Amino acid sequence: PDMIQKCWWLAFLMHVFIIGFQALDCDFLNVNLNRVIRKNMKLLRNVSHSFPIECLREIKDFELPQEILSHSQMEKRDIKEAWYEISTQAFCIFMGHAFQTTWEETHLTQIQNGLYEQVAYLEQCLMEDIHETKEEEMKYSGTGRFLLNNLELRKYFYRMNNFLEDKKYSYCAREIVRVEITRCFSYFYRFTAFLRRR
Amino acid sequence: MDDNFTLKWNRSNESVPNVTFSADYQMSEMNNWIQLPGCQYVADTECTFSFLKLNVLDEITLRIRAERGNSTSAWYIVDSFIPFLKAQIGPPEVHLEAEDKAVKINISPPGKQMWSMDRSRFIYSVVIWENSARTEERTETVYPRDMIYKLSPETTYCLKVRAELPLQKKVGVYSAVHCVNTTAENKLPPPENIEVDAANQNYVLKWDYAFANVTFQAQWLYGYLKQFPEDHSNKWKQIPGCVHVRTTQCVFPQRAFPDRVYFLRVQASDGNSTSLWSEEKEFRSEAQTVILPPVLNVKTTSHALHAYVGASREPVDLHRPLIYEIRFWENASSAESRILQEQTDFTFPNLKPLTVYCFKARAHLLGEKWNQSSDFSDVVCEKTKPGATSRTWLVAGICVLVVSVPVAVYIVKGLLRCLNYVFFPSPKPPSSIDEYFSEQPLKNLLLSPSEERTERCFIIEDVRSMTVLEEAKGTGGDLRAYHSPTLLLLGEPPAETQHPLSRGLPTSVSLCRKRIATVFGGISRPFPAIADGEAGPGVPL
Repeated sequence: PDMIQKCWWLAFLMHVFIIGFQALDCDFLNVNLNRVIRKNMKLLRNVSHSFPIECLREIKDFELPQEILSHSQMEKRDIKEAWYEISTQAFCIFMGHAFQTTWEETHLTQIQNGLYEQVAYLEQCLMEDIHETKEEEMKYSGTGRFLLNNLELRKYFYRMNNFLEDKKYSYCAREIVRVEITRCFSYFYRFTAFLRRR
Repeated sequence: MDDNFTLKWNRSNESVPNVTFSADYQMSEMNNWIQLPGCQYVADTECTFSFLKLNVLDEITLRIRAERGNSTSAWYIVDSFIPFLKAQIGPPEVHLEAEDKAVKINISPPGKQMWSMDRSRFIYSVVIWENSARTEERTETVYPRDMIYKLSPETTYCLKVRAELPLQKKVGVYSAVHCVNTTAENKLPPPENIEVDAANQNYVLKWDYAFANVTFQAQWLYGYLKQFPEDHSNKWKQIPGCVHVRTTQCVFPQRAFPDRVYFLRVQASDGNSTSLWSEEKEFRSEAQTVILPPVLNVKTTSHALHAYVGASREPVDLHRPLIYEIRFWENASSAESRILQEQTDFTFPNLKPLTVYCFKARAHLLGEKWNQSSDFSDVVCEKTKPGATSRTWLVAGICVLVVSVPVAVYIVKGLLRCLNYVFFPSPKPPSSIDEYFSEQPLKNLLLSPSEERTERCFIIEDVRSMTVLEEAKGTGGDLRAYHSPTLLLLGEPPAETQHPLSRGLPTSVSLCRKRIATVFGGISRPFPAIADGEAGPGVPL
């Protein structure tokens, strides 16, 4: 029994060690990231309570690249990179001058701050990954590294940017883009939650 | 580079005059080729074209051919590529403004079209040196609108800047070298050493200043604005409670600065003139949140040791969850273990019985960095209960014993049986043999001494047939010799012993014996004695 007790003790210490290790990993920051994303989705929805009827006619399909999630075996890092792409692009759109005049200033700064927080978290996590994988860096250093998935996401935001420009940042165009970005966030949020459960 | 791409090729024959080249392009979803602007009828071996009007994210294919007069070569198709992935980061545009001990730098990101979606991601690294001493270079990472501090007044500084996209692992080309002369030192220096402390529900902004009789004002800016190259100088706002202060510190409520990243700056004024702005101090209000050490309770139960942590007071405007850490160690040793979790109750199920353990706890505030932690709580020591673990072992032991006794008895029994079998076998042949050899003749082979005598008959029959063989081979055929061994063996003296040929008998018998011996040679059992002395002398001659 003494021997068994010793083994239990070791297993217990291992457990403690693993918990401690995870805590320092970027995974732990995910808890926080999820919270920030949820908060931002809420903020985006709350800008206006209903979608203006007069804008219905202008609604455009931006072709959210859903297939990049369904077909590929996404790894943790890919998901983080996809989130990073989405977050920075959304952040850039809401930093546009046209949005300054539309929304109540406090609301806009809340969204901008929230998105910045989201971007900063992801940036930190991804940079940590980069430091961990120095060898990989060598491999990509010549051409740069950019996932094709993110290229699809970028095209999606490119279509949104073009739409805004074509419509000269009209009220309806901004509303449509806001709803689209909220939709994109919630789609990816649900998908990431699904992946985590799997 | 950036929005401009260069297409280069080789001429196959340099001597042919008047040859020009033209290129077409095709985007991934197009069926027809379009003339590539800037690359039509080029006499040189390269041309530059721009992606300003094209989608840089779509795959593009180029083709090129040589032309001379009306004749053209065949098209050469260039491998398709995605311009955005192929593009290099060009040099950024740099504008400098001198201050007495600093340089204000304004950077415009490279590539209007190519990097339009990356403008918030660029990191700019600046290499700056004194013009007279090129060797003392220093490298700094700056925002697109930033200041480079800690320079000497009235000195010429030169610098170059490059843009990087670290996550895409793209490093740009350095800009041209720009030089600037710092100005003479202002009469009123800017405030220095700006610091922020948290106290009660307020933040205290402190700075150093050498002169008296001046007033100060402090301003703040959202940190995220610095990520963008746009001018944000009009977005600075006064910090409430930090306008026209005469002291070198001011106090403002924590409520006004929820968990975010800000920049703060301070300026001095003596009525006639104002100083330059101080260095812009990055201020993370989340990092300022003071987390108090948790209260720790430890209880022993019969099964395990439990610890409960309770936050003594929730900090103001706390958006993030607290993570609790407990460190514990045996009182006698110094080896510490630690557990981190979000829940406030901890269980330690596998501690040694009757041992004193000590515990201390602290709280971490999850943030971008791990620099926000409370102090440790007071150390709590607790002795584990004797029964806690040993009683469990006793119960388990009894259970094991109860189960193991019949098992052990059974095993010992089996073992004994095996030993008996090997060392003290029973004299009886196994019953299975009886079963298989129940037929009489075969049974006889198995040598019960009483039955052995009858066997002789068979042996003799056998011998006789052998003898017949022998006789037939050619001694000349005397039938008497053939018969006599039978009579002899039966022990009855033959009636016609006076036969003239009976002399040869012993020879014949011994021959037979030899044969028999040969026939039974393989059998280890001693052959029944048919010795010369028994039969031979008895033969009357």
